[in-house]
This record gives sequence, structure tokens and C-alpha cells, in this order.
Amino acid sequence: MRLNILIGGKAGQGINKISAIISNALSKQGYFTFNYRDYQSLIRGGHNFNVLSISDQWIASHESKIDGLVALDELTLKLHKLELKPAGFIITQKGFEDLGRNLNVALSGALIKILGLDKKILLQEVKTQLGDEAAKAIEKGYNSQKTKFSLKKLNNNITIMSGGQAVSQGAINSNIDRHIAYPMTPATGVLHELSRMQLKNDNLVVFQPESEIAAANIALGVSFAGKRVMVGTSGGGFDLMSETLSLQGMSEIPLVVYLASRPGPGTGVPTYTSQADLDIALRAGHGEFPRIVVAPGDPIEAIENTNECFYLSEKFGALSIILSDKHLAESEFSLNKQANKPLRVDVKRKLPGKTIVKTSSYEHDIFGCTAEDTKIINQGVQRRLKKYEDIKKEVQKFQMTKLYGKKNSKNLIFAWGSTKGAILDAIKDLDCKFLQVLYLKPLSSEIKKEIQKAKNVILIENNVTGQLGRLIREKTGIKIPNRILKYDARPFRSDELKIQIKKMLK
Amino acid sequence: MTATKQKLSTKYPITWCPGCPNNLILESVKTTLSKLIDSGKYKHQDFAMVTGIGCHAKIFDYLNLSGIYGLHGRVLPTCLGLKIGNPDLSVIGFAGDGDAYAEGIAHFIHAGRYNADFTYVVHDNQSFSLTTGQATPTSQQGYKNKSQIFGVVDMPLNSIKLALATGVNFIARAFAYDTKHTAEMLERAIKHRGFSFVEIIQPCLIFNLDMNNLNKLFYKIPVNKDKAKAEKLAEEWNYNTKEGKIPIGVIYEAPSSTLKEKYFRKSASLKK
Repeated sequence: MRLNILIGGKAGQGINKISAIISNALSKQGYFTFNYRDYQSLIRGGHNFNVLSISDQWIASHESKIDGLVALDELTLKLHKLELKPAGFIITQKGFEDLGRNLNVALSGALIKILGLDKKILLQEVKTQLGDEAAKAIEKGYNSQKTKFSLKKLNNNITIMSGGQAVSQGAINSNIDRHIAYPMTPATGVLHELSRMQLKNDNLVVFQPESEIAAANIALGVSFAGKRVMVGTSGGGFDLMSETLSLQGMSEIPLVVYLASRPGPGTGVPTYTSQADLDIALRAGHGEFPRIVVAPGDPIEAIENTNECFYLSEKFGALSIILSDKHLAESEFSLNKQANKPLRVDVKRKLPGKTIVKTSSYEHDIFGCTAEDTKIINQGVQRRLKKYEDIKKEVQKFQMTKLYGKKNSKNLIFAWGSTKGAILDAIKDLDCKFLQVLYLKPLSSEIKKEIQKAKNVILIENNVTGQLGRLIREKTGIKIPNRILKYDARPFRSDELKIQIKKMLK
Repeated sequence: MTATKQKLSTKYPITWCPGCPNNLILESVKTTLSKLIDSGKYKHQDFAMVTGIGCHAKIFDYLNLSGIYGLHGRVLPTCLGLKIGNPDLSVIGFAGDGDAYAEGIAHFIHAGRYNADFTYVVHDNQSFSLTTGQATPTSQQGYKNKSQIFGVVDMPLNSIKLALATGVNFIARAFAYDTKHTAEMLERAIKHRGFSFVEIIQPCLIFNLDMNNLNKLFYKIPVNKDKAKAEKLAEEWNYNTKEGKIPIGVIYEAPSSTLKEKYFRKSASLKK
């Protein structure tokens, strides 16, 4: 069973509140939800919508055809009416004009009734959170509709989490001491979340400096002083950090970077999604130095990968980049399992305050003093090279790739990051397997083996040039000719993707 | 050389030009630090330094202190990071005038506001000397150099005025040749609670020779705690000419809450 409900209106009308109320009620009932947020770069007005998908099984995508339309304004109705399935329902603001700010709450009540959910729990929550007026609005909405579906209680224990919350949780699991970030969508969610988490984590301090350049250099200072630190940013801010990433390479101060990408170039489409920053994650910064790039595909992986990044950075004095995007960072997923037990991240380095320790952006000797001598330069270069070899060995401990679907199918799909959800939902009854690449640097040797076993290889990416495809070609010499690329700043919708995949299967 | 000064030195060969006043600044720094360490109130290992890139920054290799030889222009955020990471470190940042006032100016105007408890030492020789003498924001009008063959046309930046305007609560100026006075300014700066800014005027013996021989213009001032007077003192020299007087000493000093008090204490109280 699967339902897609589109909730649309102007920014400021509270469509996220509706998604939150309904998701909350549904998860208590044991249903899985996935909430896709489509919003413009403005604060009031415009047209924003969420697509809330509901299922009795785990889902991680939304679809193009909708079963219900909740329209908080006329424009929503106009723009999305054609996406409605023939038997679909519509709820509008009509009849609730007098409710003002509580319109969204009333429409939540209406939706609860249509879905056949219990209003009691909801009423109590709304009363405590939003007051009596809101509770009345719920009642009014509830009484305005007839039940269309009766979602009987399922035995699933579900929590709701966005990719951004998951990265924050992964950082907390790693005992993060400092988060340094300058606001930039879609990385800001982690800045806000970790800021809130300061209340419950005594060691955590969140600091927002004057720029991303400052953020990255502050982070290196923090880390050198012995604290676990992460910076967060999106493409533009990451560009500004490039020189400091290169300083990391030479100084070998542990650094974790959360890079949540959005469509570029330039300011691009700031509140939408894209996977176009794999190249800069892999290569930003002058000179040759090791790094780790990991792209989680769902919140559980985001928790685990973030912890792995902290662990690897600290262990090797390395740069780790958690590569996410708007779709993973801001979509809300249902989780019914726990992340792996986190690895301990202990700072065992020599630290200022305890001893004398020097590091440098110059090539340097073992004391940290500048070197121009060829012997010392060679030692430095080779030390960095060896470090990468050590990292390659260490990451074997982790799941660098994951294989899904029919394991002996001749059709093989390749993808990374946030496309995972739509792909998994699309291939449920197709004859294919799907190799998700989590570690993009180092790259797993499994990739070449799987390609060689397959007859038909398909690449799926949310960008226009197929950056993973290029990486695989660079590392294996194999070109993947079949590509499904989406670059309209929107994520894949699983029903449309299924049709596209089907056409390519052999 | 005292035993502490010895401990503060490295065996690294000095590569500044013969006679460069940077040697004197190094000596002043060692004098100050050894005095502070010998007093028992500061520990050698608690000091950490950050340098930018340029002639000034070579001091990193000659001082046996913990630290990061950082990026050009990024001395301030790196120092701030050290303090946010470990507020108990005694942090000193060394920057050149190109570092501080060109590439890194965006950080400078926030330093007073944050008021993290560290010292920022700017070696101002009014030129980019390690890249062979191009003009910096404090080079004087008319200074002909390889990238401006017709000479500098813009007025120099008055960094003391800027520091005053952006809320820096410890501002001192020193002259590299007066090592005793420079050491005293550094000591006061390190002891100041909050962000402290010391500009050391330092002739370059190879480039921008027109700004050499300023010696007769310098005069020492007593510690000034009056903002209006500080503004007048800052106006006395515009970095552009060899006329007038150049006050050296503590141009402005005022107590204020440090980053640690404002930020960490606030977070701590919120957590309760």
C-alpha cells in the first residue's frame, strides 16, 4: 500500500507543520512515511509544497502521481490538480477562512479523518503545543471530512529523521566538541540541530564566524588544540574553504567537513537538490594529499558515515568529507532500525598545552620547521602517499558499497548518495541489482568486480555529466554508457524512475 | 642568552636578510616570553603561535613554541580556533601588513567584536617583501614597485584607526628597533584580557626604502585609556609621509568581556 499526499501553500502558511503532525500520527500507527520538501528561496509567499508518502513498508521516495491534495491556497490547486489520480481527494481552505493561522492545523485534522487515524493523541499534543484555539481548529477540520482509508494499526516501531539530523546525531555519537559553520542552505539544518544539541551536550560549542574561510581555519585551530570538530557548508562555501583543505593536507590536522550540495554553478538553485559537487569533494584544494569522501544515502548511513569520518580523520590526521545534498539533508525519513554502535573517537595526538608541537602549511621536517631540502620533501610526499594506503586498508572495515535487489541479475545499477531511496523504491519488482557506492574515496575494488560480472550496467545520478561514472572510468577504465541523469534541480521520483529503468533493462 | 631564551630558540638557520629588523622583533618576543615564563605565571608549553605567510612568518621556524604556520591572511581565525579549542592556551598570532590588511582584513574587523583572549602582532614594513616588494594597503602614495610602475595612487589604510573603530580594546604600536619598548608592548598585550593588537613598524632594508629612517618621528606615549584621545593619537601619522609624529606605546586600553566569558559562560549557564 502506498499513498502520496501533496500539501502546498505559501511560505509561512505552515505546510511543514501539517507534514509533521500527520507523519507523527502515522508513525505512531506503525506506518512508514517519506516527506519530500519542495520550497523556494523566500520566507513569505511564493509556492511551497511537501509530498508526504505513506506506506506499510519502508519507503524513501515520493512519486509523481498523488492520491491527495491539500491546498492551502488557490495556486496549489491550479499547479497540482493534474497530478491527482482519478480517485484522489482534495482538501482546500474553503470553510476554514476564519481560522487564520490555524488553517494548517484544521487541514491536518481533515487529513487525519480521511486517513482514518485516531484524533485523540493528536488533539492532546496540539493542545499542549499550540493551545485551545488550535485544538478547536483540529476538531473543525476533522468533522469536515469523511473517512476514506482506514489505516489499521501496524506493529512497527518508527522514528522520523532527516539526513541533516542524522549527520548531527553521527557527530554527537562521535563526541563532537565544536561545530563551526556559516549559514548556507542546505547545510544549515546541521548548524541549527547541533546548536540545539548544545543544551544536552556539555562539551559541545557551536560557533558561527564571519565567513566559510574563517570557519575552516577556526576548525583547524580547534582541532590542533585537541578537540573534535566539524565544519558544515554547501558548494559555494566549500569553494571558499578549498585553500584551507589544502592546508589540512600539509598540516595533517584532523578535519571533518559536511558538504551538503545544491545545484550550481554560482548561486544556482539554492533550495533545491543536485549531485554535482562530487568532483569538488574529490579534488578541491591545490597539491596532492589524501582524503576520504563518503556519501550516505539515508539517515542511518548518515549517522554511521559521519562517525566513520570522525574516526578516520582523528586516526590518520586526515580530511574527511561527508557528501550529502538537499534531498538527503532535508527530506524526512522513517527509521525502524538502529545505526551501528559508534566507534570511539579518541584524541591521542600530541597537543599544545601538554608539549611543544608544531605543524605547517610549508613542507616541513619532523619538528614542523620549513623544509626545502629534496630529501625532506620526498619524505613528506611519501608520508602523505602512505597515509592514503593506510586509509585504504582501514576503510575495508566499513561498508564501502552495498548491494541490493536480485543478486544474480545481469542488470546492474550504479548510484551514490540521495538517489538511493528512489532507486530502492523503483526496483522493488524489477530484474536488477543495485550497487550503492558509499565510499567515493577510497573507491572499493568491488566496483570493478561487479561491473565485470554484469551484462548491462546503468548509471543513475542527479547531475548532468555523470560524475560517479567518470570516477569509475578513471579508476577502472570502464565506461558506463547507459545513464539516467536528472538535472532539473529536483530529485528522482520513484514511479518515473521505474519507467526509465525498465526501458534500459535487458 | 638566558636559559629560558635558549629553550625558546630553535636551531633552524635564520633566513631573513642581514640586518632585517625581524631579527629584532624575534629578540623582543623572546625577551617577553622568557620574562613571562620565568615569572612562573605562564608555562612554556601553554604558548601557541600562528603565523601567516611572508617575511614575518619565518619567526615560526625560529621560535620553539607550539603552533601552526598557517595560510596567508588567516592568522586571526586560526588563533580564534586555538582559543575556541582550548581557552587555556596563551595564543600569539604573527602577521605581516599584507597578511593582516590585504588578504586577511575581513577577519580583522571582527576581532574586536569577538574579543577572544589572544595577541595579534602585525609586522608592518609597508610592502610585500617576500614577493619582491609590491605595495600593501599601508604602502605610501607614490611608491613605485614592480606591479605598480607608476607608483601607488591610493592613500594607505590607517590600521590603528580601523582597530579603534571596530572595537579593539587593546591597541599598541611599537618600533622594531626599540626592542626594550617592543618587548614591553608585547608583555602588556599578552597580559591584557581579550583581543590585543600590536603593530610593529619595521623598515624593509631591501624594498620601499623611502619609508626607512622614520626614527626621528617616533615618540613614546604613556598608556592611554581615553577613547577620544586614542582617536587623536591614531590620526597623528597617516602612514603616507615622513612628516609629523608617530606615537608608540599603548594607544588604547580598556577592559571588556572576552569571548570565553561571553560565549562559553553563556552556553554553560544555558545548559543548567
